[in-house]
Amino acid sequence: MEKMSRVTTALGGSVLTGRTMHCHLDAPANAISVCRDAAQVVVAGRSIFKIYAIEEEQFVEKLNLRVGRKPSLNLSCADVVWHQMDENLLATAATNGVVVTWNLGRPSRNKQDQLFTEHKRTVNKVCFHPTEAHVLLSGSQDGFMKCFDLRRKDSVSTFSGQSESVRDVQFSIRDYFTFASTFENGNVQLWDIRRPDRCERMFTAHNGPVFCCDWHPEDRGWLATGGRDKMVKVWDMTTHRAKEMHCVQTIASVARVKWRPECRHHLATCSMMVDHNIYVWDVRRPFVPAAMFEEHRDVTTGIAWRHPHDPSFLLSGSKDSSLCQHLFRDASQPVERANPEGLCYGLFGDLAFAAKESLVAAESGRKPYTGDRRHPIFFKRKLDPAEPFAGLASSALSVFETEPGGGAMRWFVDTAERYALAGRPLAELCDHNAKVARELGRNQVAQTWTMLRTIYCSPGLLPTANLSHSMGKGGSCGLQLMNSFNLKDMAPGLGSETRLDRSKGDARSDTVLLDSSATLITNEDNEETEGSDVPADYLLGDVEGEDDELYLLDPEHTHPEEPECVLLQEAFPLRHEIVDTPPGPEHLQDKADSPHVSGSEADVASLAPVDSSFSLLSVSHALYDSRLPPDFFSVLVRDMLHFYAEQGDVQMAVSVLIVLGERVRKDIDEQTQEHWYTSYIDLLQRFRLWNVSNEVVKLSTSRAVSCLNQASTTLHVNCSHCKRPMSSRGWVCDRCHRCASMCAVCHHVVKGLFVWCQGCSHGGHLQHIMKWLEGSSHCPAGCGHLCEYS
Amino acid sequence: MIHDTQMDYYGTPLATCSSDRSVKIFGVCNGGQILIADLRGHEGPVWQVAWAHPMYGNILASCSYDRKVIIWREENGTWEKSHEHAGHDSSVNSVCWAPHDYGLILACGSSDGAISLLTYTGEGQWEVKKINNAHTIGCNAVSWAPAVVPGSLVDQPSGQKPNYIKKFASGGCDNLIKLWKEEEDGQWKEEQKLEAHSDWVQDVAWAPSIGLSTSTIASCSQDGRVFIWTCDDASGNTWSPKLLHKFSDVMWHVSWSITANILAVSGGDNKELQMQPQIDHLP
Repeated sequence: MEKMSRVTTALGGSVLTGRTMHCHLDAPANAISVCRDAAQVVVAGRSIFKIYAIEEEQFVEKLNLRVGRKPSLNLSCADVVWHQMDENLLATAATNGVVVTWNLGRPSRNKQDQLFTEHKRTVNKVCFHPTEAHVLLSGSQDGFMKCFDLRRKDSVSTFSGQSESVRDVQFSIRDYFTFASTFENGNVQLWDIRRPDRCERMFTAHNGPVFCCDWHPEDRGWLATGGRDKMVKVWDMTTHRAKEMHCVQTIASVARVKWRPECRHHLATCSMMVDHNIYVWDVRRPFVPAAMFEEHRDVTTGIAWRHPHDPSFLLSGSKDSSLCQHLFRDASQPVERANPEGLCYGLFGDLAFAAKESLVAAESGRKPYTGDRRHPIFFKRKLDPAEPFAGLASSALSVFETEPGGGAMRWFVDTAERYALAGRPLAELCDHNAKVARELGRNQVAQTWTMLRTIYCSPGLLPTANLSHSMGKGGSCGLQLMNSFNLKDMAPGLGSETRLDRSKGDARSDTVLLDSSATLITNEDNEETEGSDVPADYLLGDVEGEDDELYLLDPEHTHPEEPECVLLQEAFPLRHEIVDTPPGPEHLQDKADSPHVSGSEADVASLAPVDSSFSLLSVSHALYDSRLPPDFFSVLVRDMLHFYAEQGDVQMAVSVLIVLGERVRKDIDEQTQEHWYTSYIDLLQRFRLWNVSNEVVKLSTSRAVSCLNQASTTLHVNCSHCKRPMSSRGWVCDRCHRCASMCAVCHHVVKGLFVWCQGCSHGGHLQHIMKWLEGSSHCPAGCGHLCEYS
Repeated sequence: MIHDTQMDYYGTPLATCSSDRSVKIFGVCNGGQILIADLRGHEGPVWQVAWAHPMYGNILASCSYDRKVIIWREENGTWEKSHEHAGHDSSVNSVCWAPHDYGLILACGSSDGAISLLTYTGEGQWEVKKINNAHTIGCNAVSWAPAVVPGSLVDQPSGQKPNYIKKFASGGCDNLIKLWKEEEDGQWKEEQKLEAHSDWVQDVAWAPSIGLSTSTIASCSQDGRVFIWTCDDASGNTWSPKLLHKFSDVMWHVSWSITANILAVSGGDNKELQMQPQIDHLP
């Protein structure tokens, strides 16, 4: 102890300076060792043994110890060590099993001092006693460790590990008599130098060879070991049984380990293969290195801290024949790059957040931003609760919900499920949706629906007429869609008719309708004054969107007075309800939203819910009185839809689009519509609202969207004559040039629903086949097959 | 230490990854959580995880300091490693799945400066394309643009795959955000360089395009600044940055809500944590 401290003070005065630098060696290095003056380093290898002076800017070769014409194997070094008390004393371990000591004080060129040829195989490691000048320890592949007194010609004592090869031997820095040795079978042994008969303690430290060990320079009992299992373990040897304190996982087998001076928890490692980098680890953060030196191009074989009390200079030798001085401040620091936080916005508006535990702990005392309610419902995990440092290496994961219970996107799901989009009169749809929105506390949306109702559902009709009128509307819309859909649904089923043009389908359905009510159409314009005519309306809705809208508004103009009282009865109480019961949230929402409204759309602002009931009414009245053009509203509605979409409420945009159908469709560019549709459908699918999503797809008027429902079903059809696949899309088979889908009964080509027997592949028009089967169960084509239809 | 958390497409399972080499999947239900799977296979800290679209099954990608990207797949309730990509020379920092419309494509950004794109070609095979030297010193984040069909009004012949323009954004140690676009020959080309940050870009997030006509990207950086980039222009060439906020510390993450109107950002050092969901008013 006393001697040790003297060494320290002797070295204490010097201040190290230097920079990151390297020099080329003539041959690969196997080991390096630093002189106690921290100004010289010895490099040893199979064919190199040199001393370099570490200068400010460079390494300078000072001495070549490899002398003689024909170098003996004794010079092929596996390890080298410089005595920490005597600047002239070095020892090397030779690959042939010889331990050599060198005295730099010898006047001759050959500095070789003593030869110990006691080991039978390669000596892996030599080690001087830290305080005793003449004691040298060696560990060899032959499984023995020998202790030499340099004043004698042969070993003082031999220690048999009773197991495989010795990879490393290290004198304890603090315990005078103790040394540790590591073995290829994964064991670590602790010996008392006075008792060569048996080891004090033995334990299995690693799975596979333990390549290295290092005693902690300050902590008496700490021993770090590194093994082929890519781990560095720190053991507390003071307890009765060696206790594993830390375990660092590296990405390659650990060849050398060296505690970093003055940094209690740091150690440097280098690897034996694959990885050429040198890492400095904080043992408390076992996965990410604190620092990384990437200078070497081949495996690093030797590392040494330049000065036992200076943590910033590290020297290394490598198989790439270079010697490096690394400065800690030049190291890359993966820890700094490591992301300490995880953050994810969940589907339901909840936020998953993982951060350092210390952060979260600090955070819990702070006031969260207004309006947020936090519910940390997750778990905490600590790697090592005993360490105050643990906070740095462990994380807490929390899920914050913006609202207790359902989460912020609950409204979306509810709304999507409860909205009615079709199948009822427009007014009812609007009312229903307004109600839904109101119940969910979305008053602005509710207001919008009410306004839409006012705008588009004529107040100028008697309640009954109004109802039927709207019914006609809704029905017509629905029917039209149904028509086009039916046709389209059939098309792929036919196989031969996959590319049935939609417009063609429409045209056809129109013709049918026209046939039935052609007379009404001709009279229609005149009849408007006589009140709305359901069938006429029905038709118009089908034929042209523009007329439809015109027509829709016209009755309002023609009957402004008569139903006013009805309007009052029906519509006013509704609005009053809203105005009378403005709950807190509405105001909040209004406040939050109105700036954008006024900022972007002046028109919409006037309709903003704050005083909407009045302004809305006045607008409606103004409309009736001044007979504004019918597209007066469509601009407003369009802007409103854009506004909602930009607010992230694409649901509203799509819902309104569907409910209003033709009335607004032409005002919004089709690409935008399609985008809204696809966005909304995508959202619905994320929330697993398959039914709603399907309904939206079905109700959508955009072709690209409605295709979605038919995308995944394909029917491949073979020709009924030659049994080859039908490649073209016609009804004629390419190969046999015959019509493939002939009706076996009427011998015409089936362009529509085709039914066939799966046994003989004959078939035809559904009705014909049905009729045929009433009389016979044999195939109508005469093939003799007993056809089966299910 | 947990480095990333990701919820899947439906928002229920939560995947986390940690420096202890593990990837864990939790089920979140009614205020409780169950560990569903603990995936072991990485040999270093795992930086990021990413869920693939559920139409491809339950697939999770993770990237690690050990230079590997592992793709995990759930089959019959058990999670297994389905592919391992070891094409990078340094730590892989970020993974991100492309929109499902493109098929299974994974972008990986690495500290070696390269970005690699793994495309599933069927039968367990993955095709690798690599953009070398995408960011000098390293790439920290990748984020795909939502799938947009160019000129969707143009009639697509049915049955033919729509011609998507694939794009993604990456952020790196060169303080830049770069936008990449797939050329017609399948090569990736740098389309844009967005310059505003004064330090490493830690995260980029392309906003989901729900009902919006503009493209939006959020980025955060070591310099504590969070930028919102918008592009109104149809050609996608002019991006204008808007400083959302300057924080006093490193910002690590940005994350959009699905409706793209709320942005969550996180950052901070040992002492401070900021989390500032904020509604972004787009022009």
